Amino acid sequence: MEDKEERIETSLVAIVIDATPAKKFASQPLDGSSMMNRIFDSMIAFGNAHLMQASHNKLAIVACNSKSTKFLYPSMDGTSRSYHNRPGQYDMFAKVDSDVRHGLGELILNDLTNNDSTKSDSLLGGAMARALCYIHRVQRELSLSHQLKPRILVVSGSCDSALQYMTFMNVFFTAQKENVVIDCCMMDTDSGLLQQGCDITGGQYLHIPSIAGLLEYLLWVFLPSPSCRSKIVLPPPAKVDYRAACFCHHKLVDIGWVCSVCLSIFCKFSIMCTTCNTEFKLNRPAIVPAKSKKRARIE
Amino acid sequence: MADEDETKEYRWESGYEKTWEAIKEDDDGLLESNVADLVARAKRKRAALKATGAIQLGMMRHLFVVVDASACMFLQDLKPTRFLCVLKLLEVFVHEFFDLNPISQLGILTTKMKRSEQITVLAGNQKKHIEALQHLKDLSCEGEPSLQNSLERAMNGLKNMPAHSSREILVLFGSLTTCDPGDIQKTIKSLKDNNIRVSIIGLAAEVRICREIAKKTGGTYNVLIDDHHLKELILSQVQPPAVAGSIEASLVKMGFPGGTPTLNDGTSDSSADHAPAYCLCHIDSETSSLMGPNGYNCPQCGSRYCELPVECKQCGLTLVSAPHLARSYHHLFPIKPFVERAQVPDATHCFACAKLFVEAETNVYECENCNQIVCLDCDLFIRETLHTCPGCASDPVTAQMKTN
Repeated sequence: MEDKEERIETSLVAIVIDATPAKKFASQPLDGSSMMNRIFDSMIAFGNAHLMQASHNKLAIVACNSKSTKFLYPSMDGTSRSYHNRPGQYDMFAKVDSDVRHGLGELILNDLTNNDSTKSDSLLGGAMARALCYIHRVQRELSLSHQLKPRILVVSGSCDSALQYMTFMNVFFTAQKENVVIDCCMMDTDSGLLQQGCDITGGQYLHIPSIAGLLEYLLWVFLPSPSCRSKIVLPPPAKVDYRAACFCHHKLVDIGWVCSVCLSIFCKFSIMCTTCNTEFKLNRPAIVPAKSKKRARIE
Repeated sequence: MADEDETKEYRWESGYEKTWEAIKEDDDGLLESNVADLVARAKRKRAALKATGAIQLGMMRHLFVVVDASACMFLQDLKPTRFLCVLKLLEVFVHEFFDLNPISQLGILTTKMKRSEQITVLAGNQKKHIEALQHLKDLSCEGEPSLQNSLERAMNGLKNMPAHSSREILVLFGSLTTCDPGDIQKTIKSLKDNNIRVSIIGLAAEVRICREIAKKTGGTYNVLIDDHHLKELILSQVQPPAVAGSIEASLVKMGFPGGTPTLNDGTSDSSADHAPAYCLCHIDSETSSLMGPNGYNCPQCGSRYCELPVECKQCGLTLVSAPHLARSYHHLFPIKPFVERAQVPDATHCFACAKLFVEAETNVYECENCNQIVCLDCDLFIRETLHTCPGCASDPVTAQMKTN
């Protein structure tokens, strides 16, 4: 018989939502309102459903587009906005709703100034980094009688951005270290990087066939916490492509050449590394005059 | 705390140190905030020392750990015995080492009864090493250690390693004596010629020859103060060291299995790649198991392995996955330390964690690239764990990675 103190499990879900408005599917009308509205309505409903599961549960929502990232909930505005809640509605639901809509409005207004937002990539990496810092802070501030079980849910429709590779990988390794599970709900396209992230942290990756059913997928697949997911039949994990992309062409390679100094990957053998500018020793036998020429060049 | 510099003053020579005066009570008579402040300052100082710029680091490391198993390791000044304490900490070390240096290899040696024995060969598989360490707990410590024998054996193992790797030996030495068959100066000379760096952690007192070995080969020598200090010293060896002298750089051929062949690729997807097969890493042991299609196939020879990283037994190609290499990239692109400044009235919340800045927090930290303000805890978190500034990642201009 062991008398272990029961620690209250507090589940924290940080939703990272990609609010890039210029995507094709986002502006399609559906049932009278645009798809974008539907996506955000589903997300708020999911957030409220999570808060409803237990009184200690916590929620955070971070949104991003190609210009900036923003904490929608908890709101970083100093002013406490008055919100109208329907009689009988839990106060916190109304607060979440009002904060998210207001913050989202500000985020989109910031983006309206420049028209070429379609060309640059969405700043998902930055949003996930901020969510991780928030999780770290909540973990520090929580009292010892509570045990925090954090997870991040990424809802996105953008494809991979090869230039943000470092940020993504740092976020995944940090999440693995801090025991944060990263789940991913992809609309419209697949993302290899997020697949790797879900695999590294032990989360669930799902590519949704129909966006109209987003809320249903969120509630059925992503609402249960990781500890009880083993008892539920969930979509099977996809086979993750762990190949690396070469630094010269950004093509995936099976067999590559790795510089021993800076670990950059090349698809072809070359004499100099373009990242760290070190010259490589050639192991091949060469005719004597050519050998002395190479020696002179390296020295 | 005793320091080990050459020009030190012994403790009894200096005057009284009134260390209690450093702690002051705040208005409510509580010490908590003061203590937390001191701890945070110490953390920041340590983190700032580590923040170095463009120094070439040895990423591919071949490290031998030599554990002293002589009679003095049964002393109980570290609980429960020195030997068991060291073994426990080595398990943590092995885990962190492979976490931070995924393409490196580790080997374990012990020394007792004037000889040295090899416990595990140089390998990149962390489970084997952790199992071997757990079996070592039953080993009886007797006899005298032999520094020269263990260094010679480690050197034999490291001599044949490729020139681009960083060759290291870590010795955990608890005895004050050593019993050597020959001249240890010759051993030191050949260690230096082979570019092997020896770091020693002493568990008892400072031994002159250990200091000499560490100095001549470019390693470090530390003597521990208590078990927390021992943990710190062992874990400080996990970070890749700066390259000493000249290491030849070369292009290493590596395979990246685990690809899902898509229609656009030229790779062939034969049914043999997904058929159930025995994995080659366990084929010698009795516990080899038939695996389904979820293993990794070597792209050069097609043999199946159940986990990465591994060196293919058939064709010699090192197999890794892209995240293994990516784990070391943060050493190559370190972030510049944040600037400490007094609180700014515009920034009411920390950019990273959305915490409200209270009056008691006097200092906030600003990133030079993106000019975002974060609090002290986020600064430490970003520096030690995250290795990415959230402000720079949230700015469309600075979020792009520089690849060339």
